[in-house]
Amino acid sequence: MLARDFMNFFDASRRQGVILSFGGDISENVLFSLGEVLKLRMSQGETDASVAKRVFAIFVEQAQNVIRYSADKVAKPSGPAPGLISNGVIVVGMEASRFYVLCGNEMPDADVPSLRARLDHIASLNSDALKAYYREKLRQPPDEGSLGGSIGLIEIARRSSAPVEYGFQALDNQRSFFCLKAYI
Amino acid sequence: MDRIQLAATDRSPQVDFDFASGHLSLRGESYPEDAAAFFGPLLQALRAHLADQSGAPIVFEVGLAYFNSSSAKALMNLFMPLEDAAEEGRSVTVRWHFVDGDETIEEAGEDFAADFSHARFEMVREPVA
Repeated sequence: MLARDFMNFFDASRRQGVILSFGGDISENVLFSLGEVLKLRMSQGETDASVAKRVFAIFVEQAQNVIRYSADKVAKPSGPAPGLISNGVIVVGMEASRFYVLCGNEMPDADVPSLRARLDHIASLNSDALKAYYREKLRQPPDEGSLGGSIGLIEIARRSSAPVEYGFQALDNQRSFFCLKAYI
Repeated sequence: MDRIQLAATDRSPQVDFDFASGHLSLRGESYPEDAAAFFGPLLQALRAHLADQSGAPIVFEVGLAYFNSSSAKALMNLFMPLEDAAEEGRSVTVRWHFVDGDETIEEAGEDFAADFSHARFEMVREPVA
C-alpha cells in the first residue's frame, strides 16, 4: 500500500512534466544544490544552452524570492539574507515541450496589493518596455523592504517566453499564498 | 588601498582589485548568498581608491558567465562611481567580456554600456571555450 500510494503520487507529478520539485524549508544551500542538479539534468537532456541559462536564471530569482520574502520563516536572524530558512515550494517542469518554473510561499495580506500592482505593471510591458524598466530600476536605490535589487521580478519577466502567471489565495492567518509561474 | 584578491567559489567570482596598478577584475559566476555582503567591501575599497585623487588610469575587466539580479545591482553600484571619476577626468575603461553566442551576457553588457558616457566601455567577444 505504501509503495503503491506513493508511486501514484510520484507518477502524477511526472505525468505533469515535473523535473524537480521541492516543498518545505528552503535555504541558500538548498537553492544551490537544487540548481546544480537542475543544470546537470538540462545538460544531460541536451537542452539548448540559451534556454538552460534562462531556466537557471529564473530558478535562482524565484528561489531567492521564496527565501527572502516567505512569511513562514524558520530562522529570523537580524542580518540580511544568509541564514534565512523559509518555507515554500519550487517546481521546475515541462509542459508541451516548454520549461516552466513555479514558486509559492505565504506572505502577509498587507503586502499583497503592492506586489499585485508590481506584477500587473510588469505584465503590461512589452520586451522593450521591460528592458527600459529594468535599467531604470537598476539605477535606483532598492525599494523599501527589498533585500535585493527590486529587479528580480523584472528579470524573471525578461527571461520568460510568455507573460508570467501569478495568483494569491487568502489564508485564515492574515496571510495569503502567493504563486508565480514563468514559462521559458 | 590594499589589493583585494579572492578566489572564485561555486557562486561568487574571482576578484582581483589591484589598485596600485589600476587593474581590477571580476571573473566567474555571481549569485552569492548575500550580494550586499560580497560586493559591499569591494565598493567601499573602490570608492576609497577613487577618493585618493591620484588620477591614475583604471581598467576594470568584467567577465561573468552568469549573474543574478542582486549582482546586477551591485555591478551598477561599482560602475556609477567609475563613470563619475571618468567625468572628472580620470581615464576609466570597463572591458565587458562575453563568450561568442552568449546573447544574455552580451545584451547585459550593452545595457550597462548605455549608462556610460565618459568612461570607455569595451565589449570583448571571446571564443567559445
